Amino acid sequence: MIETGIIKLDDYLMGGIPNGKSLIYYTHPGVEGNVFGMQTLYHNLAAGMKCVFVASSSDPSMIIDTFNEFGWNLEAYRENLIIVDAYSGLIGATSNEKYIVGDPENIDSLNETIEKVIEELDDKSVIMFESLSTIMDLCGEQKTLDAIKNWNTYGMLYEHVLIYNFTAWPYEPETLEHMKHNLFDAVITVGGIAERVIFGQYFGVLKAEWSDVELKSMLFRVLRPGGIRIYIPKIVVTGPFDAGKSTFVHALSTRAVSVDRIGTTVALDHGHVDYKGFSADIFGTPGQERFDPIIKMLSGEAMGIFLVVDSTNTKDFVRAKQMLEITKAYGLPLVIIANKQDKSDALKPEEIRKHFNIPDSVKILPAIADKGVGVFEAFESLVNKITEVA
Amino acid sequence: MSGYSLGIKEIDDHIGRIRGGSNIMMIGPPMSCKDDIINIIIYNGVKDNDAAIVVSTREPGERVFNWFKENKLDISNANIGIVDCVTKTLGMGAADTENIKRASSPVDLTGIGVKISQFFEQFLMKKNIANTRLCINSLSTILMYSNIQTVFRFLHVFTGRVKAANALGIYVVEDEMHDPQTIATLKQLFDGMIEIKASGDGYAMRVVGFTPKPTPWFNYEMDGMNLIMQESV
Ligand SMILES: Nc1nc2c(ncn2[C@@H]2O[C@H](COP(=O)(O)OP(=O)(O)OP(=O)(O)O)[C@@H](O)[C@H]2O)c(=O)[nH]1
Ligand SMILES: [Mg+2]
Repeated sequence: MIETGIIKLDDYLMGGIPNGKSLIYYTHPGVEGNVFGMQTLYHNLAAGMKCVFVASSSDPSMIIDTFNEFGWNLEAYRENLIIVDAYSGLIGATSNEKYIVGDPENIDSLNETIEKVIEELDDKSVIMFESLSTIMDLCGEQKTLDAIKNWNTYGMLYEHVLIYNFTAWPYEPETLEHMKHNLFDAVITVGGIAERVIFGQYFGVLKAEWSDVELKSMLFRVLRPGGIRIYIPKIVVTGPFDAGKSTFVHALSTRAVSVDRIGTTVALDHGHVDYKGFSADIFGTPGQERFDPIIKMLSGEAMGIFLVVDSTNTKDFVRAKQMLEITKAYGLPLVIIANKQDKSDALKPEEIRKHFNIPDSVKILPAIADKGVGVFEAFESLVNKITEVA
Repeated sequence: MSGYSLGIKEIDDHIGRIRGGSNIMMIGPPMSCKDDIINIIIYNGVKDNDAAIVVSTREPGERVFNWFKENKLDISNANIGIVDCVTKTLGMGAADTENIKRASSPVDLTGIGVKISQFFEQFLMKKNIANTRLCINSLSTILMYSNIQTVFRFLHVFTGRVKAANALGIYVVEDEMHDPQTIATLKQLFDGMIEIKASGDGYAMRVVGFTPKPTPWFNYEMDGMNLIMQESV
């Protein structure tokens, strides 16, 4: 089994892709689905696997550059990387690669080269097609469908994993149906949320023959460098006056701003967190009651809530519970931060739990926000809850 | 004001403003200054705070910007995004900049599509600019490496996006490079055409599709960045 290297996707796939199986990243035009195949390839190279990159729309000499944009240094693994050059022949350029497709517009020429590579690989490997759509464009839809069956059979026999990047241009509907339902062991759809323009991107598992995990869509964004991150547009940090919300937001964030007046938040804190494959925007609310309308407004469309409490200040716990109602947190993923654990009179999380009427599944985690202690553990706990795989 | 003007007075006077969401093919012979005309249309937009996205298949992104500099046009605050399909084909490694994103090659329609979409998002969603002009210069280069069905599918998607975004799409085609069937196929995707033909020692243009009858032919020549037009008799 190999991993895709894409956070959460490996959970959906129950660990990754078994040897001998095929997976397609089926992408709507205009969405950054091509990065998925690249990230999977790089992840496996870095894990010491032998990998094959079938270049159909890029000059092989540029591939290293393209990966570099994401901070992925192919050169470090060059001896394990085989590039099949199915591009140079198209523009009449010469090629330095060992495996060259003489006529990329002829499926037989491509078939021959791919079969040769597969036969000559001495280990179980990962074979990644940069652009199946380009192959389809050049060689025709039916011929490409037949070739895919052939490659997948070869992959199965030699226990390689085949990964395809595919852009779903408006091909014949039957072709697209085949791609989505018949030809591959796993189909990952990568789509865009469009209004007038595409302004959000998501992926989901349409099918994975070996996994019974339920399908769910994840928003993502692509960082350069960094690659694919699960994107969580809104996490709200709320809690009573002076509990340490602003401090918590700043401790988590790579960059953050606050709208404060004499030490108290009067509008909001906003921060951006990039941690362990997650990218999130977090919003801290004010704490004082006079700002309740703002708190209510800020918490709309939140995907998860942090409730920060001052662990020494039991009399504010009533207010804390009230804030869970204002932010409608009861239906959402929620983590309670037992802050200011450095103070001698701080209650332990278990003691705090007695003051709250919440199910055991809601975690109460200790933190010292102004020292940055416990904040990332709390973040991880909440985002895992938000993106929980059923 | 809603809609788009080209910034070519004689033509604008005839056709009025072009409604948002329109897609236009500009077709003409080689050497007929199509690049200059495209740049004039772009500049006419960005000087009024429209955004522009240029897919450049024949020259690197930096060169596209140079035209404006050479003609002493200030575009320092303009929202212009270039999808450069050339630099990486020349085997040159150059990083993307804020205004230039580089596709792998003219074959890389997936990459070109992603970068167009990113500029659309940047201009419409992030910068809240209402009007964007998308110019593909040129379809002929793309057609050198991909067949007409492939290009048709690509354009089918992106003329649709232009419509959805209420943008203006202009697609340059070299006349005489393609068979009539190819041109006929492409025409189905467009609302109108800017036609250019040889005329006497120079060239003439007219616009078809936005008025009940085509506009008259105008002989034109370039003087620096000025287009000097004269109705032909
Ligand atoms: N001892 C201790 N002090 C803390 C800790 N976290 C925050 N503080 C302090 O608590 C005070 C309030 O912190 P803020 O982050 O402004 O609290 P807030 O919840 O945003 O406050 P409001 O916006 O006014 O509701 C500041 O003086 C912080 O330095 C902690 O873990 N331990
Ligand atoms: Mg605060």
